[in-house]
Formats: sequence, structure tokens, C-alpha cells
Amino acid sequence: MNVLYATLGFLGIYAYVSFASLLWGGIDRKLVARMQRRMGPPLLQPFYDFLKLVGKESIIPRDANRFFELAPVLALATSIALLAYTPLGFEPIFGTKGDVILFIYLLTLIGFLRVVGAVSSGSPYAQIGAQREMVILVSREGPMMLALFTILWRLNELGVTKPFSMGTFYEHNVWELGTPMSIIGAVVLLLVFMAWLASEIEVGYFDIPEAETELAEGTMAEYSGRHLALFELASAIKAFVSASLVVAIFFPWGISGYIGLTGLPAVVMDLLFHTLKVFGVLFVSMSLFRAVTGRLRINQAVTLFWTRMLPAAIVGALLLAIDTLGVVV
Amino acid sequence: MNGLIPYLIIAPLLGAFALPIVGLAGRKARGAWAIFITGITLGVAAGLFKEVWESGEILVYTLGAKSPLGNGVPFPIRIVWEVDLLGALFALMVAFITFVAVLYSSEYMKHDTGLEKYYALVLVLEVGMLGIAVTGDLFNFYVFLEIMSIASYALVAFRNDTWEGIEAGIKYMFVGSLASSFILLGIVLLYGQYGTLTMAYLAKMIAENPTFTAKVALGLLAGGLLFKSGAVPVHMWLADAHPAAPSSISAMLSGLVIKIGGTYALARLAFSVFSAGISTRTVGWIIIFFACVTLIVGNAMAVIQTDMKRLFAFSSVGQIGYILLGIGIGLAAYGSDVGQVALAGAIYHTVNHAIMKALLFLVAGAVIHGLGTKNLNELSGIARKMPVTSFAFLVGAAAIIGLPPLNGFASKWLIYESSALFNPFLAAVAVIGTAFCTAAYIRVLFTFFGRPSERVMNASEPGKAMLVPMLILVAAIIVMGLFPWAISDKVMLPAAKTLENIGAYVSAVLGGA
Repeated sequence: MNVLYATLGFLGIYAYVSFASLLWGGIDRKLVARMQRRMGPPLLQPFYDFLKLVGKESIIPRDANRFFELAPVLALATSIALLAYTPLGFEPIFGTKGDVILFIYLLTLIGFLRVVGAVSSGSPYAQIGAQREMVILVSREGPMMLALFTILWRLNELGVTKPFSMGTFYEHNVWELGTPMSIIGAVVLLLVFMAWLASEIEVGYFDIPEAETELAEGTMAEYSGRHLALFELASAIKAFVSASLVVAIFFPWGISGYIGLTGLPAVVMDLLFHTLKVFGVLFVSMSLFRAVTGRLRINQAVTLFWTRMLPAAIVGALLLAIDTLGVVV
Repeated sequence: MNGLIPYLIIAPLLGAFALPIVGLAGRKARGAWAIFITGITLGVAAGLFKEVWESGEILVYTLGAKSPLGNGVPFPIRIVWEVDLLGALFALMVAFITFVAVLYSSEYMKHDTGLEKYYALVLVLEVGMLGIAVTGDLFNFYVFLEIMSIASYALVAFRNDTWEGIEAGIKYMFVGSLASSFILLGIVLLYGQYGTLTMAYLAKMIAENPTFTAKVALGLLAGGLLFKSGAVPVHMWLADAHPAAPSSISAMLSGLVIKIGGTYALARLAFSVFSAGISTRTVGWIIIFFACVTLIVGNAMAVIQTDMKRLFAFSSVGQIGYILLGIGIGLAAYGSDVGQVALAGAIYHTVNHAIMKALLFLVAGAVIHGLGTKNLNELSGIARKMPVTSFAFLVGAAAIIGLPPLNGFASKWLIYESSALFNPFLAAVAVIGTAFCTAAYIRVLFTFFGRPSERVMNASEPGKAMLVPMLILVAAIIVMGLFPWAISDKVMLPAAKTLENIGAYVSAVLGGA
């Protein structure tokens, strides 16, 4: 029965996150439009887009191999599987100790499947996009992993039931440490995570692999119809999940405790509040960033990752690590 | 019950010697006979493994008498075969991969001549490897090692109308014979010093009286065996031999020969024979040093290859590095939990790598069979014409990198975890090795999935006799990947424990004498 309930809850979460992430797409487009003094599309525009794409004919290029059709399905499947390990205001359904590695793996796998799908299309535009995505994929995950592992290791010392799991953040959080050094370190890591988030969802500076104006959609150049729809949905879920990670690390507080809810209502309340926080984080990292900045060249982006983000992550990690020695009060 | 052990040797030996006669019945009879014999051997090996695993005992079989001990004397005078869980596991692995490779050969080798010699050599190779896995006698070990080595020299040079087959064969034979003679010299020194060749009794003698000669002998043995396993300063033969051999043979060479004749024998000698008389810490660190160099050089060289089979061969060198790292840590941290986990990881990785590297070489064989080239620059877009083969490659590559749903993850994880606990620097080296390995395989993957080149458009999938063996291995990888921790707890950890427990190994033969 337990497995059955978990599966039902999982399906519920999947339905909810699909809805919320597509809804955020609409909000984002509306907000960016308002920032540029345009009306913008209606809020539910991503839903119409999705339905229209699903109804359209999907064209398979002559040079494509089987993986071209398989990649979008696998990408969506991976992003759905990822939801089982995502902190959404409460501890993940299938969370166990050490699941942080699975989380990072699945998150990276979505990007990798996009790359494989693009390579499989046989189109040179998609191939260039794929190469860029691969380079960025390799560059951006290092700083994020360093930051994430440092924080989890630090929280571990406060005593948690499941070390190195996503549920850790709901037992202790990084601000609880309280010392000035840890707070500075946490703020530095927050900046790293916001930059990582922007590159994970490929907006602003980091809109490089898809680069509409330069590469004609890059990785997604050959995708159409329902295959594109699946990829779009997978990307939307991925954006939500990535933002959820940032929210869980830095703003994990729920409100159900304050208003005295328990049981199912508390879970629903926390989920809604979490969604609100995710929208807040995405507003900063996605909408604002997208509206304010233009695209970097690929070499500039890689330089940014290795000479700005990685050192920042190292500094933040060192600050958190030195803090444990207690030499600086 | 130890009645099964001799059949492990008898079956393939009979098969090999009967082949010239069976071969008179025609081409098809040879292939069928070889498949039949390897199938029987697989059955025997599975039965033996089941028996050892269920009873948890060490089976001893004495050639020629009931007891290994001589009349009225307390020391063994006969050749003994001694099978513990580790030996039975590796015998099963050898029989399984050989069966799959022979099955594959029936179509793959269709265009070659002299097939009765080919199958006879394959069966002899199997005899040698099974013998190494079961033997408890040092000179008997050397004989089986030579049987294995000579069969593999001949098989590497089997296509003697190609220049590279001959070149690789000569290179392999010259340096291989030198390495074998080091091993023989080591055995000679031990015999001169202690007057016995039974491993169990030798272990007791070395523990009682560790001499300088024993250390020199260990140095010679370890040098020869590191050569046979393709550790780095002496890995060059491997990068030539694997690409030049027929692919079914590469699968056996890379999956089995370098492990049974190299890392397994090294672990067996270091643990069962020498560990009571020498400083395991020193020997462990020496092996760890070679392991680290092997890891980095093997995997880094794999990244820059343009020949597919050469890439796989260098990747084998890199993976041997992981196995050696596990064995080295197992020795250096002898008796602790960390050492045990590292050893279990090494054993697990040996089995896993045998399966996945065999799969990758069979894929390479299918590609060469279909296209006639193994140059990666000409292979772009194979996935369009050979989807099943590409899928098999995808699974094999993902497993070797160590992606979670597949079997490579758990074994690499055990090695990472134990090396991080033992010495974080070693874990960093292991991770760097994996990063290179990932880069190498992703490059091949992109070649497979890219835009089809003109040459590729004429290719087609190989026949069933080649696809089925690949799919068997794919299934093995996936099934083993679904139950990693059960396998690790129920098989690999007990195997590591039996290897560490020299007391049991010695008393199984000497009977407490």
C-alpha cells in the first residue's frame, strides 16, 4: 500500500509541476513583455503552444536515426523521474541518504539527452548547438556540485537523519549556522547558484546552445510537432526543478507550521508556498536576467564559468569549511 | 563434494583435442562442437559456483589420491586444485564470456580459413584460464599461464595474412615470453628456498620464515603478472594485440586474459601465498602506485585514439587501473573494513568489466564486419543503419563510465568510496580517470549518432548469430545493474573475505597440519 500511495503522490506531483512550470512560462513571458512596454501573450499561452505542437505533424529528417525520436521521450521520462527526488516544500517522496548524486545525475542527463537528440538529427545547425551545450554542460556543473556538496557536508555536522539527501534542507538550513563567516559564504554560494540556475535554463548570458538568431534554434533546430512539445515540457519541468533546488538550499522555510496545519493540508500549503518561492527565484534569475542581458559568445561564457563562478564557489566553500574550525568568531 | 572441479578442465580439453577429428565432419560441425563444449563448461562452472557459494567452503581436489598429504609426512606432495568463492566466481565469468564469444564466432569468423585451429585454440585458451582460476599449485599455475599465453599469442596472430596481426603477435610473444620467464624464475627461487610448490603449504612456510629470497621472488612474480595484466609501463603490447586480433578474441583477451592471468593471479599470490610473510602495506602501496599511473595513462590515451578497437584496448588498460587500485588498497589496508570493501570493489569490477568490455569488442566486431573499417573518422552515423548494434554500444559505454542504472556504477562506487576513505588523493586520481574515460566514450557515441557518411549508408545489421551474443551481454549488464547491492553483499564481499582469510586457504589443504 505504501508503494501505491507513493506512486499516487508522485503522479499528483507530476501533474502539478507540469501545470505550474508551464504556467510560470506564461507569467515569465508576460513579465518580460511588460518590462519592454509590450502587452505580451495571455498567461496560458504555453498551454496553447503545447497543445498546438502536440497536434502538429512531427517531421523526421532523412538523416536522423532512431534516437532522434527516442531522445525527447527519454528526456521527459528523466525529468519526471527527477521529480521524485526534488524537494518541493517537503521531503522528496523517494528520498534516501545520498540521493543528491542521483539528483545531479538526472539533471545532467536531461541536458545530455538533448545533446544526443540533436546529434542524432544529422543537421549541422543542431550539431553546433549540441557541441556548445556539451561545453556548457561540462563547465557549469563543477561549481554547482562543489557548492552543493559543501553545504550538505556542513549541514551534516549539525546531525541529520539522512546524510547527503535533499531532505536535509528541511531539517537544517545554511543560515542556521549563524556565524558571520558562514553567512558571507552562503551569500557567495547563493550568487553562484543564481548564475548556475540562469545557465541551467539557458537564459540571458547563457542562451548559447539554442541561440535563436545565430544558430536557428541550435539543438532544437530539427525538432517539430509532438517531439518538440515533449522537449519543451521537459525543459519547463527542469527549470522548475532547478529553481526548487535553489529554493530548498537557501529558502527552505515552510509556513504550514505557523498557521497550524498538519497532514495533507500542510503538504498542499507548503507546496503552494514553495511554488511561490520558486516563481520568485525564477523571476530574478530568468525574467529579469533575460530582459536585461544579451547573449555571450561561447568562449566568453566558458571563461565566465571557469574564472568567475568556479573561484566564487571555491571561496564560498572555503569560507564554510574554515568556519568549522572556529578560529574566526 | 568436489567432483565437479576436474570436469572444468576435462570438458574444454576434450573439446580441443577432439576438434581435429570432429572437424573432419565439415565446417558446421566444428562451430557446433565448440558451442556445445563451451556450453557444457559453462554448465559445470555454474554448478561449481553454486556449490561453493551455497556451502561457503573451499573445495580441494587432489590429483591422483584422496589426500594431498604424502604417506606419513605432514606436507602436500601432489598437485592440488583449490577452489574458493573467488576462484569459482572467476571460473564462471571465464566460461560465460568464452561461451558468448564462441557463439559470436560462428558468424563472425565465417570468412576465415583454418577454423578447426581457431576453435581448438579458443578451447585451449579457456583451459588455461579455468586452470589458473582453480589451481592451488604454483608450478601448475605456471603451466596453465603458459597454456593461456601461447594460445593467445597464436590467436592474436590468427589472421596471418594481415601485417598487423603478425606484428602484434610477434610483439606480444616476445615480451610475453620474457614476462613468463620472470614468473618462472620467481617460482624457481621459491622452490629453491622452501622446497615446495603447493601454494597453501608455501604460504605457511613463508609465514614461518620470511626470507629475502621470498621478497625477490614476489618482485619477479609481481613484475611478470603486472605485465600480463597490462599495467602501465608494460601496457604497450595490449594496445597492439587487441586491435589486431579477431574481435571475438579481443573480447576474450580484454575481458578475461588480462584479468585471470594478471590481476587475479596477482591478488591470489599476494594474499593467499605472501600476505602472512611480508609487509602488505608496502606491497599494497607499490600496486597502488602502478594502479594510479595505469588509470591516468590508460584512460587519457583512450581519448586521443582514432581507431575504435585501439580506443577500447586503452580503455581496458584504464579499467585494469581501477582493479589494481582496489587490490592495492585491499593489501595496504589489510584486515580493515576499507580494505575489504576495496577488494570487493575490485572483484566486482573485474566481473563487470569482463562483461562490458566483451560487449564493446563484439560491437566493434559487428561494425568491422559490416563496414570493413574501424577508423572512427569514417564511422559517422552508424546508428542510422545499425540501430541494435548502436544500442548495444550505448549500453556498454554507459556501463563502463559507470552510470547508475547499469552494473558499472556499483563496482566503481565501491572503489571510489574505499579509496576516498583510505586516501582522498587516490579517489581524486580515480575520478580524473573516469573523466577521461567519459570523454573518450562520448566522442565515440557522437560519432555513432552523427550524420551518416556515404560509406555507412551501405552497411547493415549483422545476422542473428552475432546479435544474440551482444544482446545476452546487454541483458547481463542491465540485470546486474538492477541488483547491485544484493550482488555486492551476497557474492562480492564474501569473495573478498575468503581471499583475505589465508588461514582457511592454508588449512583447507593441510587439514590443520
